[in-house]
Amino acid sequence: ELEVTVSVEGMTCMSCVRNIESTISKKPGVKSITVSLEKKMATLIIDPAQISPEDAAEAIDDMGFTAKLLS
Amino acid sequence: MASVYEFQMAMTCEGCAGAAKRVLGKLPEVSNVETSVEQQRVLVTSTLSPDRLLETLQKTGKECSYIGVK
Ligand SMILES: [Cu+2]
Ligand SMILES: [Cu+2]
Repeated sequence: ELEVTVSVEGMTCMSCVRNIESTISKKPGVKSITVSLEKKMATLIIDPAQISPEDAAEAIDDMGFTAKLLS
Repeated sequence: MASVYEFQMAMTCEGCAGAAKRVLGKLPEVSNVETSVEQQRVLVTSTLSPDRLLETLQKTGKECSYIGVK
């Protein structure tokens, strides 16, 4: 298990937050995701055997929110 | 020839509209995207098929459907 933080741009409200959380939590290898609207950040717990930190960040970016892997 | 396709999208805020613009904007075959949160509509000017555009819009995680050619 690995904790990953991702910066997320483009969210405007809690509905954006819930949309990202519910969509990304369904991805194989994503154990949990918590998104902060104020910090413009997402914290994920992933299984690196199933998904890389880069792909996890990319999955958020693919939804239309600019996402960059921080750590 | 590019056509203008109309889609319904369950947008709740400008964040949703921005996401729609961004996912579609990544496609070089898309030349214009207009959104209206109020009317729940996305207008896309593209040479791609509406199926392909709908598939792309659905990446936003929002419920969407194809309406027709504008
Ligand atoms: Cu929002
Ligand atoms: Cu929204």
